[in-house]
Amino acid sequence: MKSPLFLLACLALVLPTAPASGQAIDLSSGDWEGVVNIDASVLLPDYREPWNAGQPSGGSGTGFLIGKNRFLTNAHVVSNATKLVIRSSNDPRPHPARIVHIAHDCDLALLAVENPAFFKGTVPVEFGGVPQMESSVSAYGYPVGGTRLSVTRGIVSRIDFQPYSHSGMDSHLAIQIDAAINPGNSGGPVMQNGKVVGVAFQGYSGDVAQNVGYMIPTPVIHRFLKDVEDGHYDHYVDLALTYRNLFNPAARRALGLEDGNTGVQVGSVYSGGASAGIVQPGDVILKIDGHTVSSDGSIELEDQAVPLEEVVERKFKGDKVRLDILREGQPMALTVTLREPWPFKLQSNLYDEKPRFFVAGGLVFQPVDQNFMDAHDPSDQRLNYLFDYFIADGLHTKRPEIVVLSNILPDSVNAYADEFRYSVVDEVNGRPVKRLDELAAAFGEASDFYVIKFAGGGRPIVLERKAIEEARPRISARYALKAEKNLEK
Amino acid sequence: MKSILFLRSLCLAFLMALAVPSAFAGDTAPGAAPKFLLRVNSTNQLYEFSKPWIKKPPFSKRGIGALIDGGRILVTAELVANSTFIELEKPATVEKSTATVERVDYDCNLAVLRPADPDFLQGMQPLALNGPLQVGDEATILQLEPNGDIARTLGRITTISVSGYPSESGALLLFKLSAPLQQRDGSFTVPVVREGRLIGMVMRYDVRNQSADIVPTAVIRHFLAELDSPAYQGFARLGLAFAPLRDPQLRRYIGLQEPGGIYVSDITPRGSADAAGIKKGDAILAVDGLPLDQDGNYEDPDYGRILFSHFTNTIKHPGAIVRLKILRDGKTLEIPLSMQVANRENAISETQISDTAPKYLILGGLVFIELSRPYLKEWGNKWTSGAPQRLVYFDAFQNELPPDRGRMIILSHVLPTPDTLGYEDLENIVVTKVNGHAVKSLADLSEAAKNPVDGFQKIEFEEDPKLLFLDAASIEANAEELKRHYALPALERL
Repeated sequence: MKSPLFLLACLALVLPTAPASGQAIDLSSGDWEGVVNIDASVLLPDYREPWNAGQPSGGSGTGFLIGKNRFLTNAHVVSNATKLVIRSSNDPRPHPARIVHIAHDCDLALLAVENPAFFKGTVPVEFGGVPQMESSVSAYGYPVGGTRLSVTRGIVSRIDFQPYSHSGMDSHLAIQIDAAINPGNSGGPVMQNGKVVGVAFQGYSGDVAQNVGYMIPTPVIHRFLKDVEDGHYDHYVDLALTYRNLFNPAARRALGLEDGNTGVQVGSVYSGGASAGIVQPGDVILKIDGHTVSSDGSIELEDQAVPLEEVVERKFKGDKVRLDILREGQPMALTVTLREPWPFKLQSNLYDEKPRFFVAGGLVFQPVDQNFMDAHDPSDQRLNYLFDYFIADGLHTKRPEIVVLSNILPDSVNAYADEFRYSVVDEVNGRPVKRLDELAAAFGEASDFYVIKFAGGGRPIVLERKAIEEARPRISARYALKAEKNLEK
Repeated sequence: MKSILFLRSLCLAFLMALAVPSAFAGDTAPGAAPKFLLRVNSTNQLYEFSKPWIKKPPFSKRGIGALIDGGRILVTAELVANSTFIELEKPATVEKSTATVERVDYDCNLAVLRPADPDFLQGMQPLALNGPLQVGDEATILQLEPNGDIARTLGRITTISVSGYPSESGALLLFKLSAPLQQRDGSFTVPVVREGRLIGMVMRYDVRNQSADIVPTAVIRHFLAELDSPAYQGFARLGLAFAPLRDPQLRRYIGLQEPGGIYVSDITPRGSADAAGIKKGDAILAVDGLPLDQDGNYEDPDYGRILFSHFTNTIKHPGAIVRLKILRDGKTLEIPLSMQVANRENAISETQISDTAPKYLILGGLVFIELSRPYLKEWGNKWTSGAPQRLVYFDAFQNELPPDRGRMIILSHVLPTPDTLGYEDLENIVVTKVNGHAVKSLADLSEAAKNPVDGFQKIEFEEDPKLLFLDAASIEANAEELKRHYALPALERL
């Protein structure tokens, strides 16, 4: 149920570094005293030359105190950060901070300042519930347009599931507001009656739509805070299946549904996911945890019609979901134990990870993930298919990783390898390569020839061991190769 | 050396003839109406592959045909592709006759036309075909002025190679002629002559590089010989893809001692090489005793070092046996191979459909088609990235799918009807079964749909939604309304 959709032209609300050096203003009381400005120094990993440290960059966002030395902000404000500092309008000195927990799938992070003495007297904010449609809210933060705290006001425009663009793969409940939220607002509290009702996190640029900003509502925030109570963030869990409406009267009769408005039809059940082997394509889901599922997939929860996913959204790794289904006309009750479906991560944006690679004879091999695809943007049809349909066509069951020849550092040893760029490695010396470490292991074995075969079964690349060894110092020096491999994330 | 000198002197004679009408006067005298050229106006109409029951608006192409022996008019296949109406026109008198296509072959991009009125060609003289040419030779592209006079553009042959033809079905001998050609009449189908003899037909012109691609006489002769054979077969195909064997490390690994040889990288199922037992990974060293270099070239007596497929596909005719010298697992083998034309009958996705109405079947409002490249090309110039990527992949790599996969049946889109409620957004998904029967063609689907199960048409897919149901009786009842509403001539064309 992860949506492959992306918010088009979505504006990440992180402001490029602009040192906040505002003077203290009187903020002796009010909603905003725990609202802080976060400056991040960032190192963006280099997926094209993965042996390099990466590209230094920076950004600025907002956070707010929610408890003893705990600041809540967006994950995208602090992702890939090498250094973080926190300032407030009351105390413009930079206070070094660190990440305590980060959840990329719901774009939230918890920070702490290194010296807890700071902000000791500051009162944490309290959380409210889901605000009513059309009720007014105020967004606090440090957006573009100045250095001091900014407040904007608007109303709740829509409450719906939305793709979260930070990971690019996850959709959760989000609340659309028309208060102006701009780069730098990210991570800031949106308040109503003195309580936090959301965290501003993304919007559309003015080219696409006007006054469309989104905040992460409190159910998502509470779930995050509960998940990390055990000191570890476990990621959202998922049924890992698709379903479809059952509006068609013929389909309803064929599936044995009496006339009415209940039930959705299961489409794909992804191998490697929680429902694999339990739920089958064609099953009709009638109830989820006792909530009746209507034919468009919605359920009634706290007097609101929400997609049936919302039941799963509020659960944690290891929790169970009961599904009442109809299979070939027979009612059945199924129990799914929830877990994180691993293959999905391949198609999410990844953060705080070092690119993995392996170099042999000037041939650079890398595992493919969303970051790799963004950096290389290959036009290879086979690779694009393998990546795009990795989950939908169950390709991950055959190869947990797609290992490609990502680059060729020209040298006499690899003079005839040019045409193989972005080819997918199938095997090395007869050993199947389903992960990067298997490729590294195959090259680690003594052999006169290293024969690299690619998907599709064309000509192999043959490297002689002698030639690889002769070329090694030459290539390292010529291309300033600081390392020949990194197999750790 | 002698022959070159001889050609030069002929050339000189030809140039002089431009000034002084002489033996070639018929085609060279200024103002004289050419006796072997005809304007060809072809009205063509393509099918809409995404709505296969309709044709796109007709459009006209104009070109120049060359009269050759046997009362045939030679043009490119592209000029008359999907033609609905062809007209011949004498340049000077503007006398017209309708014409029919005697034979069109998109592989070699050639077609021959015949006028409806046999007397139409009276008084005209056919062009003879020239022999082989060399790089550097001059040739003249013939076009027509509005008043019917010949417009000549002199050019020089810059490249002779085996290259891809527009049909994408393979490579054949191709000349490149450097000449500053002007576009006249909206097409570059025009003949090229030398010394009063035809040396080929222009089929493409690269305006930026001022370079014309020419179908040479070697290919034309093969086409004409097939035309005169009892059953036209066209051009045989090896049915394999190969990679050069330049890398010394790879050569040492496979134990290749000889200087040349190529690496077989792909085999087309049911093709000539497949039938002969050639395998991926074989090295081909020689064909009929002609050694191949590392790029797959052989020494052709007429054209020098060119790709060996010229020998197997153009010099040889379908049914000929060629002997391949193969290196496999360190051993040298001699394998006889019978050259056969490509058999696309069981192809998973048809790559070329011209002059044929695409098949379709509409059930309830669900539009089913067979996957084909022309369908994917409906996404425009950038179809490889714009068309549904799963289908693009299956089309491009169909050789890697099980050979008995059959045609890939696609639910193309849905024409909304009362029966399709809830299905309107489905498009471009692959059908696996209908009413429990595997479908490998639209004919299979049509058969399977005749036997609904418990009153339902049950259709299964590879992708989401995996399966759907339609009410069989309701579909029957609504069929006429569906036809009327969407102006469908028929609900199926198989």
